[in-house]
Amino acid sequence: MAELSVAVPRRAPRDFAGLWIGPPLLILAGLFLYPLALILRETLTGGTAVLSLGHFAEVLGSALFRTALYHTIIIALGSTAGCLALGFVFSLIIAFVPFPGARLLARLIDTFIALPTFLIALALTFIYGSAGLLNEGLMRLLHLDLPPIDFLYSQWGVILSEITVYTPFVMRPLLASFSLIEPAQIEVASSLGARPFRIIRQIILPAALPALLAGGSLCLLLTVNEFGIVLFIGAKDVITLPLLIYDKAIQEFDYTTACVIAVANIGLSLGLFSLYRLAVSRFEDRRHAGLV
Amino acid sequence: MKVPTLPSAANHHPALPGNPPPCPSSQAGEGSGGRRGRVWEGDAGGLRRGKAAASDPAGASSGIAFEDVTVAYGALVVLDSLSLVVKPGEIVALIGPSGSGKTTALRAVAGFVRPTRGRILIGERDVTNVPPHDRNIGMVVQNYALFPHMRAEENVAFGLRARRAPDAVLRERVPECLRMVGMAAYAKRYPRELSGGQQQRVAIARALAIRPQVLLLDEPLSALDAQIRRSMLEELARLHRDLPSLTVLYVTHDQTEALTLANHIGIMRDGKLVAFGSAQSLYRHPPNRFAAEFLGRANLLPVKALVSDVGGLTHVRFGDAPLLARNHHGLPAGSECLLCIRPHDLRIHAGDPATAPLRGTVRAVQWQGEMHSIALEVGGHPLRLTCAPLKAPPEPGEMLALHFDPEDATLVPEDGDG
Amino acid sequence: MLVWSRSGRRLAWFLAALLFAVIYGLPIAMIALASISGQWNGVLPSHLTLMHFANSVQGESGDQLRVSIMTGAIASAVALVSGTCAALALRRIAGAPKRLLDAIFFIPSAVPSVSVGLGLLVAFSQPPVLLNGTTLIVVIAHFVLISAFTYGSVSAGLGRLAPDYEQVAESLGARAFYRLRRVTLPLVAPYLIAAFSLSFAFSMGELGATVMVYPPGWVTLPVGIFSLSDRGAIFDAAALTIILAVTTLIVLIGLSRVSTKAAVR
Repeated sequence: MAELSVAVPRRAPRDFAGLWIGPPLLILAGLFLYPLALILRETLTGGTAVLSLGHFAEVLGSALFRTALYHTIIIALGSTAGCLALGFVFSLIIAFVPFPGARLLARLIDTFIALPTFLIALALTFIYGSAGLLNEGLMRLLHLDLPPIDFLYSQWGVILSEITVYTPFVMRPLLASFSLIEPAQIEVASSLGARPFRIIRQIILPAALPALLAGGSLCLLLTVNEFGIVLFIGAKDVITLPLLIYDKAIQEFDYTTACVIAVANIGLSLGLFSLYRLAVSRFEDRRHAGLV
Repeated sequence: MKVPTLPSAANHHPALPGNPPPCPSSQAGEGSGGRRGRVWEGDAGGLRRGKAAASDPAGASSGIAFEDVTVAYGALVVLDSLSLVVKPGEIVALIGPSGSGKTTALRAVAGFVRPTRGRILIGERDVTNVPPHDRNIGMVVQNYALFPHMRAEENVAFGLRARRAPDAVLRERVPECLRMVGMAAYAKRYPRELSGGQQQRVAIARALAIRPQVLLLDEPLSALDAQIRRSMLEELARLHRDLPSLTVLYVTHDQTEALTLANHIGIMRDGKLVAFGSAQSLYRHPPNRFAAEFLGRANLLPVKALVSDVGGLTHVRFGDAPLLARNHHGLPAGSECLLCIRPHDLRIHAGDPATAPLRGTVRAVQWQGEMHSIALEVGGHPLRLTCAPLKAPPEPGEMLALHFDPEDATLVPEDGDG
Repeated sequence: MLVWSRSGRRLAWFLAALLFAVIYGLPIAMIALASISGQWNGVLPSHLTLMHFANSVQGESGDQLRVSIMTGAIASAVALVSGTCAALALRRIAGAPKRLLDAIFFIPSAVPSVSVGLGLLVAFSQPPVLLNGTTLIVVIAHFVLISAFTYGSVSAGLGRLAPDYEQVAESLGARAFYRLRRVTLPLVAPYLIAAFSLSFAFSMGELGATVMVYPPGWVTLPVGIFSLSDRGAIFDAAALTIILAVTTLIVLIGLSRVSTKAAVR
C-alpha cells in the first residue's frame, strides 16, 4: 500500500476534442480579426508607410466627428430610455394583467426582432412624413399649406423608429424575469393592502432590475450601431458614426478617415458590449434564461 | 398509475456477462488484461444459454474493487481512501447523507470521476485509466436520462448499436431486455409518453442490454413517489433473483432501499466509509453511533461496560440501573460506551414495575396507523418505543416500565463527535 | 394578477392596446397599405393596385430576392457549422483560455456592421487576397455578422443540456463521434434550428455591411429597397419590404415547425 499512498500523477485525459476550436478560430481570425487589424493599421499609416497618430487627432478633433458622436449618443440614450419604458409597460401588462391573447401578442412583438430594421423607418414616413397620413390629415383639416409636423426628419424620427424596433429586445429578458416572480408574492402583497404602484415599485421592479440592465445595455449597443434606420430616415443633419463611416468610405473614398471613425465606433461599441456581458452575467446569476 | 409487474417466467434471462470470449476488435494493450467488455457471442444462442450462465456460480461475473481510492478537487477531498470490495453477484448499497461521497464513488467506477490516488478494478481489470465507454458498465441515474428523441426500444438498443452489434443480436436482445423489465408492450413509446416508473424500467433495460459486467444504480428510485418506489423496489429484488450473477453497486440515501436490496451495506460520511457489513449485522450490531442512527432508528443510552458474562452478555450500568447487553464488538471492561436498542425491541413491562430494568416518563404518544410510537424520558435521556397499536395507550406524564431482550441490545463505542 | 378591479384592468388593457396600435399596428398597416396603393395624394390612397407587387416579382427585384435568400442561407449554414464546432470544442476547454475564446467568438456581435464591411473592404482590396467586387465578400460579411449569434445560441443550448445524457451514452459504450451524432446534436437540435433561422432572418434584413461591400452583380433585397426609396419609388419599396418580411417570416415559421417536431421527438 505504501507506494499507492504517494499521489500518482494521472495521465492527462486523452481528450483532444478541444482542438476542434482550431478551424472556427482560423476562419474568424482570417475574416474578422485580420480586417480589424488592417483598419487599425490604416488609421496609423493613412495608406503610407509612416506610422503616426496624426490622422487620429485630426479626425477626432473635427467638428464633423464630434457632431456625429453627439448625435449617436443622444439617439442611443433616448431610444434606450424609450425602449425600457415601453418594454416595461408592455411586459407588465402581458405578465401581470393578462388577457386572452396576451401570449400571442408577446410573440407577435417578438417576431419584430426578425424583421429588417428599416421596415419601421419606411413605414413611419407614410405616417409622419411630409406627405404622410398625419400631415395630410392636418393640412386638410386646418387648411394649411405646409405640413405642420416635421419631427420625422430629425433625431426624434430616428429615436421613434429605434424605440419601435428595439423594444422587443427589452421585453424578452423582462418577460423571462417576470415569469419567475411567484404570483403568490403579488397576491400576498395585495392581501396586505399594497396598491399596484407599490407592488410594482417594491416587488416587480427590484426583481426585474437585472433584466432591465441586460436589456438596456443590449439596446444601447444596438442603437449606437444602428445604420439602416438612420439611412432610410435620411435627415440631412442627423449623421451618426456608422452613417459617417459609410459617407466617408463609399461617397468620398476617404478610407483613412472612415477607418479612424470606425475605430472610435468600435471602441464605443466594445465598451457597451462589456457592459452588456456584465449585465447578462448578473442576470444569469439569478438563474434567468431567455437571453441570447 | 398502474405499474405492470415483471414477468416471473425465468426462461427469459439473458446471459449475464459471463466469461465472454475476447472480442476480436478489442484494442490490445489497453487496460491491464482481464475480461473485455464486448459481449455478444454473435449468435442468438447466447441468450438461450443464458439460464445456465446466469445460474452458474463459478465466478461467472465480475466484482468491483476500490483500492485506496481518493478523489480530491484541489484541497477538497470528496472521497477519502476508499477501499471496498463488491463480490461478483452481490448487491452492495452505499448509503450516507448528501455530500458523503457515495455518488462520487459510483461515478469513479463509471469513469466520470478520476481518482487522484488508488485503483479501481472491475473483475480482474484495472479500469482506473480506462475511458467510460470501454468499461462495460451499465448505469442508471436518478432522472433516468432516457434519450428523449428515441423510442423505448431505440433507447435499449443504443448501447448495442454504439458497439456495432450485429442486427441479429439487436433483434434478439432488445425485446428480451424490455420483456425482462415488463416493458415489452411499450417498445414503441417515446420517453415522454411513459410514467416515471416505466421510464425507470426502460433505463434499467437499456443498462442491461449491453450485458454489463457491473450495474451501477445512482439513486434510481428517488424521483418516484412513495407507492411506486415500493413496487419498484420489489421488482429490483426480483430482477436480481432472476439474474443472480449480476453485480450491483447501489447508491441511495434511503435506508429502506438499502436494507431491502443489499447483501452488504457501506455507510459513508464526509468522504469516508464509516461502516461496512452485511445488511443484517450492520443493523443488529452497528459498529458506531453514526451507523446506528443512520441505518434505522436507534435508542442510544450512555452506559459503562462492566464485566463480560459467560453467556456472551455483558453487564453494564446505565446511571444506577444495571442492564444486560451483547458486546458484539468486544469493548473492553470498564469502558464508556453506548447501549443501542431499536425502538421496536423495547417492550412495555407488564409485571411488577419494580422488576423492570428501565422506567421512564411518557412525553408524547403518537398513533401512526399500523403502530404506536411513544416518546419517553429515562434518566434524562430520550427514548423511543414502538409497538402494535395499543387499546389503552399511556398518557403523557405517566410512568412506564420497560424491558427488552438483552440479545437485542448491542454495545456501541462512542464516536467522539457523534 | 396585479390589478384586481374590473375597471382598472380595462383601463390598463385599453392603454396597452392603444400604445400597441399606434406603435406597432399603425406602421405595419400603413406600409401594407402603401404597398398596394396606386396613388396617394390625399389622406388615404385614392385607389388600390397590385402593380407594385407585380413589379417586384419580375426583373431585378426578383433577382434581389433570390440573392438575399442565397446569401442568407449560405452564410447561416456556414455560421451554424462553425459556431457549433466552436461551441462543442469550447466545452472541453477550461479556465482562462475558455473565457478568452468565448469572448473572441462573441465579439463580432459587438462590432458595428458598417465597420465590419469597411474592414472587409480594406482587407480584401489589397494582396494577398483580393475579394473586392466578388459575391463572396457579401457572404463573408453576413457570415461574420451572424457568427457570434450562432455560436451564442448553440453554446446556450449545450449549456442547458444535462450532462447525464452524454454520460449515460458514454457508459453504454458510445465513443465521442457516435455520442455527438446520436445524442448531443439531436438534443440541441432546437437550438441549432433557432440559431439558423434567426441568423437567416438577420441576414435577410442586413444593410450596413452589405452596402459597403456589394458588387453590382450581387444586390441584396435591402440594398434594392434602399435605392428604390432613394429614387422616390416608395410604394415599390414598400411592396418589396412586405415581400422581404413575409419571406423571412415564412422561413422562420417553417423552421420553427421543424424545431417543435425535433423537440417533441
